[in-house]
Amino acid sequence: MMHLLEESLTWTNFFIFLFWGVVMLLLILGFVTYAIYFERKVIGWMQLRIGPNRVGPLGLLQSVADVTKLLIKEDTIPRKAERELFILAPVITFIPSFVIIATIPFSDKLFNANLNVGLLYYVALSGISTIGIILGGWASNNKYALLGGMRSAAQMISYEVPLVISVIGVIMLTGSLNLHTIVDQQAGGFWHWYFLPQIIGFIIFVIAGVSELNRTPFDLPEAESELVAGYHVEYSGFRFAFFMLAEYVYVFAVASLITLLFLGGWHAPFGFLDFIPGLIWFLLKFSFIVFFLFWLRATLPRVRVDQLMGFGWKVLLPLALLNIFVTAIYMSIIS
Amino acid sequence: MLRTEELLLNVGPQHPSTHGVFRVIVKLDGEVIREAIPVMGYLHRGTEKLAEDLNYTQIIPYTDRLDYVSAMTNNYVLVNAVEKLMQLEIPERAEFLRVIVMELQRIASHMVWWGTYLLDIGAMSPFLYAFRDREIIINLFNELCGARLTYNYMRVGGVKWDAPEGWIEKVRDFVPYMRGKLKEYDNLVSGNEIFLARIKGIGKYDAATAMAYGLSGANLRCTGIQWDLRKNEPYSIYNRFDFDVPTREGGDCYDRYLLRLEEIVQSLRILEQAVEQFPAGDTMGKVPRVIRPPEGEVYAGIESPRGEIGCYIISRGKQEPYRLKFRRPSFVNLQILPKLLVGETMTNLITILGGIDIVVGEVDA
Amino acid sequence: MKGLIKGLGVTLKSMTQKKVTYAYPDVPIEMPDRFRGIQHFDPEKCIVCNQCARICPTECITLTGKANPDPEKKGKVIDTYDINFEICILCDLCTEVCPTEAIVMTNNFELSTYSRDDLFKNLQWLNDNNQHIRKENNSAMPKGGAK
Repeated sequence: MMHLLEESLTWTNFFIFLFWGVVMLLLILGFVTYAIYFERKVIGWMQLRIGPNRVGPLGLLQSVADVTKLLIKEDTIPRKAERELFILAPVITFIPSFVIIATIPFSDKLFNANLNVGLLYYVALSGISTIGIILGGWASNNKYALLGGMRSAAQMISYEVPLVISVIGVIMLTGSLNLHTIVDQQAGGFWHWYFLPQIIGFIIFVIAGVSELNRTPFDLPEAESELVAGYHVEYSGFRFAFFMLAEYVYVFAVASLITLLFLGGWHAPFGFLDFIPGLIWFLLKFSFIVFFLFWLRATLPRVRVDQLMGFGWKVLLPLALLNIFVTAIYMSIIS
Repeated sequence: MLRTEELLLNVGPQHPSTHGVFRVIVKLDGEVIREAIPVMGYLHRGTEKLAEDLNYTQIIPYTDRLDYVSAMTNNYVLVNAVEKLMQLEIPERAEFLRVIVMELQRIASHMVWWGTYLLDIGAMSPFLYAFRDREIIINLFNELCGARLTYNYMRVGGVKWDAPEGWIEKVRDFVPYMRGKLKEYDNLVSGNEIFLARIKGIGKYDAATAMAYGLSGANLRCTGIQWDLRKNEPYSIYNRFDFDVPTREGGDCYDRYLLRLEEIVQSLRILEQAVEQFPAGDTMGKVPRVIRPPEGEVYAGIESPRGEIGCYIISRGKQEPYRLKFRRPSFVNLQILPKLLVGETMTNLITILGGIDIVVGEVDA
Repeated sequence: MKGLIKGLGVTLKSMTQKKVTYAYPDVPIEMPDRFRGIQHFDPEKCIVCNQCARICPTECITLTGKANPDPEKKGKVIDTYDINFEICILCDLCTEVCPTEAIVMTNNFELSTYSRDDLFKNLQWLNDNNQHIRKENNSAMPKGGAK
């Protein structure tokens, strides 16, 4: 079916693409539902309790109950808020997160689009979500939402920079921005995977990724609700759910990217395990990354705002630049 | 062209951390606090006034509800004051039970403080671990006196219940269990770089300021002054046990944190010795049927987990006190808050407030 | 970095430990015998001495007595006995002073109702509340049985 990508766009092709797009959307929503469920379960187990287990067998319908609750809530819009921007903000936050999934390949035969600039596409679009957050904070007509929105925007922008720069090492080693090529260069066993030669880049990407996702230990926008409310204080019901949905779709995107860029994508760690299909390896590595994110959330305390910015600009950025130099020197020595 | 003004922010009575209903009015200049005004009284229940109508045994359930996290020490301070006034002799076994119960209560109170402090800072899991250990202590108390939080256990002249079968063995088994858990908590939190960065250098004050404000407990000992009422003005049978009073120089939140964890270790030492030396005997001394202290005034101060709690009684020879006043450590320790907050950021407000360890039931009485 | 790794190790290890939560209310909680729950009242034993009403720190017990209907016997019998559970703090002082253990505590603690009026319990309800009565009461009953 991938030949459809090379043909010209006819109505049939369009509807086939639309169909698969909807399938992808449903898959992502399913992932989000069960990621939330598993997060609560895993964190519960780490805290010596059981996690949700009452709604449905083993608590599997808990997220469905939560989403239903959010859907049937009253949709309040503050009177003095800017209606259009208020309604637009969650949409702007969510759409890029879903659109990014288009370039992510799940195995060598299972992918949505084969862009030659797949990585750049991700980087460019994920920045758009920040606009949604600022809009949400501004349009709420609430001092504290504005403050919270500004702060989270500052956090996300300052961690985009090390995020992108840490990946440049991988791009240099591969010579291409195409995600398929990057994964194919990592074939043959886990010592080829990029997380070993690019260990600094890997660590920086993980840290910056966690910060982009607004998860603990960098969850200031959400925990700001302690003192000064976050950007989504005025949002209720399903608009609020959109922000949360965007976060979890980004979890999907960032975890997939870590798997593809640093952990060898769909390749097996040892040659003799090749008979297991690539998709299973992808899912295994992906699940491990997602579990690692939950694990971090259960363990670590929160970082303070000034320490967060200091860490991003003064530690991660120089390390990422250092990574580029070291990779360049290594490549010139090899060749 | 650019006009700046101070923002008046209300860190409202509904506080997200479990310290209780407490309000701080904060004047912010951008991110920095210029002035902080604490407003208390949202939990005032008139305990001291009510006490003027009740006889001493009836006041004991009310003292439980002052510092509800550490109720045994509250019970003890009232009972000790009355016993001092009446010059009563308490049997050995009752004294030992009192000491065991108070030290267990100290550990439980510090566990609540630790769990909620880390929850404020952002870590979710230590809260549950702390409450699991506290649950063991609370279950011990449940078996002993029938309640989990408001014990109503001490009486003028002794204690109400004797230890049931097997209870002392359970206390003895608890000590090594808790020691193992403290090591685990050290691994989880005390070396954590994020936590250390959040807590070091915050809320610093020196010994002279601490003395001037009348602080007590860990808040005083973190500046280097070694003052613990169990050693400096011994009450009950504390002079029979061998334990240290840890102090730290520095006076910031990190020192207070480490100091409270050290105090748990010392409490475990006392528990070990008390369980070993536990005698047989009565649990109630020779007390007249109707408790009528002679005319006079008395002040009794003891070391609760929060600091020095004191009970001042003016008695006119009747069954009820003429005036009963509690010197509550959280109330006094809180007075340093406006001074510590000037120049800090909002996030540090929560850290500092947690480090002082207040319980609003005690602040407001 | 090392502190963070050690912390992560602690949480991972606790994933495999035993869970400490109770499955209440599917599984009822076993309280120890001395637990101070809702009171049980036995009108046969009550001699209307009023000690419980006097000692109650919150004055939540109200009772009335009447002369013994049997002309041979002296003393009073209990007529009404109410406890206002809005203010009862379950402190156990009433049992402590009762000379006949007419009022004792049980191990029940479930008092939630939908209306405050239901919290004013009368003699009949207190008598019917006879599950899990405490065995060890530490009351003012003279040791060796009542007279």
